[in-house]
Parts: sequence; C-alpha cells; structure tokens
Amino acid sequence: MTLQTILLIGVVLFSALAVIARDLLKAAISLAVASLCLGLVFFGLGAPYAGVFEISVVAGLITVLFILTIALTKTGGDVREAKLVNIVFPLFFLVFLVVDALVMRSLLRKIPVLDAPAESGSFGQVLWQQRTFDLIGQIAIILAGVFAVLALFRKRENHD
Amino acid sequence: MTSTWLLYLFFAAALVFTGLYALLTKRNLIKLFIGIEIVSKGVILALLSTGAVKGNVLLAQALVITVIVVEVSLVATALALIINIYRHTKSLDVRQVAKLKG
Repeated sequence: MTLQTILLIGVVLFSALAVIARDLLKAAISLAVASLCLGLVFFGLGAPYAGVFEISVVAGLITVLFILTIALTKTGGDVREAKLVNIVFPLFFLVFLVVDALVMRSLLRKIPVLDAPAESGSFGQVLWQQRTFDLIGQIAIILAGVFAVLALFRKRENHD
Repeated sequence: MTSTWLLYLFFAAALVFTGLYALLTKRNLIKLFIGIEIVSKGVILALLSTGAVKGNVLLAQALVITVIVVEVSLVATALALIINIYRHTKSLDVRQVAKLKG
C-alpha cells in the first residue's frame, strides 16, 4: 500500500509538473512519467492488461505523437502565458487537496458497500464475450481516427 | 476497504483538478491538450480503483482499455488538427483560433 501511495503521489506530482513546465518537451516527458507511474499503480491493483496498455500506448505512443507535434510546431511554442497562472497554481492546488481530503474523510464509512456479483472467468472471456459491443465501437473509433488524420493531412489541390 | 478506495478517489480528484486548471488557464494548444490527458488519467484511475475494490477488476480493465483506445484516436486527430491550425496561424495560441471566425 505504501508503494501504491508513493506511485500515486508521483502521478499527481508529474502531472502538475506537466502543467507548470514552460518547455513543452519537458511537459510531454513529465506526462509520460506520470503515465508510467499510473501503469505501475494498475499492476498493483491487479490489472496487468490495463497497466501494459497504459505504459505502452499512453506513455509510449502518445508521448511520441506529442513530441512529433512539438517538433513540427517548434517556432510556435513561445505562446505568452500569464505569469500569475503558474505562481497561483501551488496555492490553489494545496487548497483543493485540503478540501479533497476533508470531503473524502467525511465520506468515510458513509457510502454503503453494495453487493457485487463475484467475477468468474478470465480477462479474455470478459473482453470478448461480455464487452463485444465495446470492441466494435473501438474498431469504429480507430477507423474514424485514421480517416480524420488522412483528411487533415491530404494534399491540397490547386484549382486556380 | 472503503478507506483504500477513498485514497484512490482522492488522487483521482487531484488529477482531474490539475487537468481542469490547465484547461482553464493555459493558452498554448498543446498545453490544453495535456490538460485533457491529465483529466482522462484521473477518470481512468477512478474507474479501475472502483473496479478493483468492488471485485470487478476484469470488467474495469476492459472498460479502461476501451477508454485508452478512444484516447489514442482522439490524440491523433487532435494533434493533426493542432498542426493544421499552426500551418494556418503560425502560432499555437488559442486566442489566434478565435480570430478565425467570420
């Protein structure tokens, strides 16, 4: 449990660093480290498949896409941000954490534990038999993403 | 077991707050998208921890994988859009996008 808590603190800290960091590359790498920590948390929760997806896809693929975009838009990275935003963030964050802790503490033992039927079978059975409709949706969304990227990067024809 | 669950929810709420703060205050398009990513991390953490605590970790995993696949598709499309916006405006400032209207 202690390791899980340390990893969770790492997720939140690296996410906060990704928001605060001025350099976009540092922000993207911080986000990747946060994803890595989150993937390890998933392993600790007994969800290895979700952990593998989180580490390989979110920490790997999405970071590559972010870095590629940052490289392609390098000269546009100097957007003027208000300085006050980064200075005020730790204060707001601490206030939110205190409120968050108080709310969670007040909820302790007040949420009734609902009975859930015990799970049986393997992960493959749950994914392929119970959530078949989700898989069809996933295929449709991947195809939509592919067509959207193709449409956005198509070569423009000169009509005039 | 409830206290463990609330600990995970505590961190999930902190992640959602961090992402929403970035969405509300940042002007760089890539930073805004990093904010969306952080919010989705919080949601995924809440989903999986609830599944693990309730003994439905397999179903929660299946849902998390669905969320991750949708996220990848979203990221690819949104980053392609950001590159296109950059080609048009030569800037990543979100206020420049507002000037495109009309």
